[in-house]
Order: sequence, then C-alpha cells, then structure tokens
Amino acid sequence: MPASVEIKDVTVIYPNGATALSDVNLVVDKGEFMFLVGPTGHGKSTLLKLLYRDEVPAKGQVLVSGWDVAKLAPSHIARLRRRVGVVFQDFRLLPRTVWENVAFALHATGFPYRHVRRRVPQALADVGLLDKADDYPSQLSAGEQQSLAIARVLALQPPLLLADEPTGNLDPDSTTHVMDLLAKANEEGATMIVATHDPSIVNTMRRRVVAMRSGKIVSDTPEGGYPGDLGSA
Amino acid sequence: MISAALDFICREAALHLRRERLIAIATISTVAVLLLVLGAVVVLLIDVRLWTDQMSRALEVSAYFQRDFPRERAEKVAAQIAEWPAVSETEFVPKEEGWEWLKGQLASSAHLKGLENPLPDRVRVHADNPSDVPQIAKQLEELEGVKDVVPSATEAGRRGSFAQRVVQARKAVAYAGVAAGILVALAGIFIVHNTIRLALHSRWREIYIMQLIGATRFIIAAPFLLEGTIQGTLGAALACCILVPVHMYLRGLTARSAPFVFLAPDSAMLPFALLLLLTGALLGLTGSAVSIRRYMSRRPQWHG
Repeated sequence: MPASVEIKDVTVIYPNGATALSDVNLVVDKGEFMFLVGPTGHGKSTLLKLLYRDEVPAKGQVLVSGWDVAKLAPSHIARLRRRVGVVFQDFRLLPRTVWENVAFALHATGFPYRHVRRRVPQALADVGLLDKADDYPSQLSAGEQQSLAIARVLALQPPLLLADEPTGNLDPDSTTHVMDLLAKANEEGATMIVATHDPSIVNTMRRRVVAMRSGKIVSDTPEGGYPGDLGSA
Repeated sequence: MISAALDFICREAALHLRRERLIAIATISTVAVLLLVLGAVVVLLIDVRLWTDQMSRALEVSAYFQRDFPRERAEKVAAQIAEWPAVSETEFVPKEEGWEWLKGQLASSAHLKGLENPLPDRVRVHADNPSDVPQIAKQLEELEGVKDVVPSATEAGRRGSFAQRVVQARKAVAYAGVAAGILVALAGIFIVHNTIRLALHSRWREIYIMQLIGATRFIIAAPFLLEGTIQGTLGAALACCILVPVHMYLRGLTARSAPFVFLAPDSAMLPFALLLLLTGALLGLTGSAVSIRRYMSRRPQWHG
C-alpha cells in the first residue's frame, strides 16, 4: 500500500538559529513520483529528513500515511522508518559483501531467513547485481554502489521511497540506470520523492516538479521541467 | 520473528567478537585479572570465616566461685548463666571434679597427695559468637559469689583466645573485601564500557543503517549487550580456572602441614565459581548497557 505525504505550515529552525524551512505546505499523493529541485542548501534534504523523522519541525505538522511524524513515540519511530526507504548521494553501504548489505537490512528488521534467502537475490537481480553478490562495495563502480543502495531499500519494500541527490556522484550512464530503477519502483507502487539539482534528469523524465529556494516552495508544476531561474547548484 | 531476531543478535555478536578479537581478548583478560583479585578476596573471607567459626566452637571462659559460696547457690547461678542469649552451653564443675582433673593433668601428681583441695567450684561457659565473650566475662564478674573469671585453662580455651584475635582480623578482612569488591566492580564496568564504546565507534555504520531502516532499539542494542556479557563471563571463567585449582592445592597443603587452619572444602568451590561467573556476566552486561545507552541517545549520523 503506497504512502501519502502531507506537510502543513512547516518551519524548521536549526540549533544555530538558521531557518531551514519556512511555512512549507506540500501534499504528495499515494503512488506519485515527484522531483524536489533547487540549489544546494535551500532545504531539499531538510524536507526529506522530516519524512523519516531525522528532523522535527519547530512549527507545523508532517503526516506520512496519516501518522503525525513529530509526535511519534520513540518506539514508533522504528515503525515509521520501516515504511520509508531512503537513498543517499553517498550510498551509505556497509563494508560487507553485496549480498550481506541487503541481507543485513532484512535481518535487522526481523525478516526470517527463508524470506531473506528469497528477497536478497530478487532485489539484486532487479538492479543487475546478482552476479556480484560476493563482491565488496569497494570493488563496485559508483553506479553499482548506488544500485546496491537501491536494492537494499527495495528488498524492504517500503511504500514511500526518498532519494536525496541519488545521481550526484554518477556518470550519465549510471544516472540513467539509477533513475530507471527508481521509476520502476514507482511503477510497482511506491510513492517516490527525488531531491536533485540535476536539470537533465528532471527534464528527461517530465514528472511533477516542486522547486525550493531559501527554505520555501517557489513553484509546483505537474510534468514540468527544471525551472530555469533556479540554477543547478 | 523472535527466532529471526535472536538469530540476528547472536550472529552479529559472534561476527564482531571474531572480527575485533584483539579488543575482545584485551577486555576478557582485564576482566579476568579484576575478578581474580575480587575472587581471591572472597575466598580469603570464606576461609577466615570458616576458620574462626571452627575456633569459636572451642571458645570458653570459666567463672570461679568463692570457696565458701554454697554449692546449691553456685548451681543455681550456673543454671541462670545457661539462660543468657549469647551463651551456647554451660557446664558446672564441682571442686572435687576439678581437683581430679588437675591431678590427672600433672605429671608429678604424687606430690599433691595429702594436700587439701585448693580449688573452688566453677562453671565453664561457651559463647555462641566469639565477639560476645568479653561481654559475657564482664557479666560473670558481676554475679554474686563469683571471684574470678578467666579463659579456660584447656587447649580449647587457649585456641578460643586466639580465635578472639582472628575474629578481629576477620572484620578488617571483611571491610577490605567489601572495599575491594566495590572498586573491582566499578573498574570492571568502566573497562567493559570503554571496550564496548570502542566497538560502537567501529560499528557506527551498522548502527546508523539499523536506525535508518527502522530496526528496534532492542535489536540494535542486543548484540552489544550479548558481547559484553560473553566477554565478562569469559573473563570470570579465566579467573575461576586460576583461583579454584590454586585454592584446592593450598587446601591440600594446609591439611598436611597446618591442620589447625581450616580452608573451605573443595565442594564450596562450585557455588563460588558460579557466583564469580555471574558477577562477570553482570559486569559485562552493565558495562555494555551503559555504553549503548549513551551512544543511542545521540542522533544517528553518517560520518563518511
């Protein structure tokens, strides 16, 4: 079951007093694919962090599948995070084999062995890494490392998938491959939010584009391109 | 779900004990040294207690009545003494019986022939606890008809007065033992805490990923708690492997060369070893719990 996202009048202020988000309102429907674009340091990552409860708003409300994220008890934060998969620019992989990276996530969230044995090869096959199951991340290209990070998330089958600059470290071919994987996950039902400042992927895919500048949403266009007045970095 | 979680916890703990074996060996050996000290103090306390208990059974004082004090009244006083709570046993010794005993003890008893019996009636008093003897002696002195109160002239009495000194030493050893126990426990927790902290720092990636994907706090903490417990228990086992054989050897040695020294029997070593293992496990568990609690109270961050 895909997840919906609703952000109401949210303001985030960092401990140093800087305002990261200011009165942000956003609704993402179940199963939607959305780009969150804007220059670096203008609030895209902070907005994503709100959704997996790495940040809490100073003001306003964040709802994921109806759960008020800021008010979750510590014991429920784990339950929220099982419903939200996150892919980062720097992959965030363990120094273990490709197989173990995916299996670790499944084991740590309580999947029985028979499920792990079934899901790991499936997830690795989906991203084209099954033949490298025994390799270590250091033996993979950047594109393959990001594919592995995506496989780890896909194996957990979260209804909401967040990607924070997923192609920031990749060459054009790898970028295309990674975006294809994310699009496929979306087609299979996951709600998808991709934060990027790369105009090429936004202009190619033509999905909903929400643009941010200085912690505010400045435009929201369905099937739009990268707003020309934002710049790309 | 539960078996999958347990399996994950055990595998992760085993994996990291294997991968970080140098840190594990350092912790296990340090805990072993600490518990060796603690265990030695505990064994010494057990032995001293046993020894003084054995001696206290022989502890006795005698109250001598005035020579002209009527026998009937002396017997009544002896009966009264037997009712005192600190007294375990009394024995009224008539002067005739005492005279016969004395003659039997002296090698040249022939010289005593024809002499009038110089001894008064007396009562031998045994204490429950050696530390009560001075108070009993004081009370005896205040009794009607009692002329002198002295430790028994018997071998048992001599040992009793020695026991008195040992009992005083026992207290000192007990205080030192408690102090050593507290210090060792704190040092043990500190050492395991630091080791697990090192392990936590070396495994920040795993912890971060687990927090990110929604692993429960229990699943994240349990492998570390298990590791700490295993390290503490292994350290205690190592200490047992040294202490128990050494004690058994010393017991054999004293039984042959110093039979008046009573050491704890070998059968007492099993509960002692189990207690030491439990102490090691608790030290490990507490040390790792302190570390993981502090680490997880911080916000997860990817440093790479």
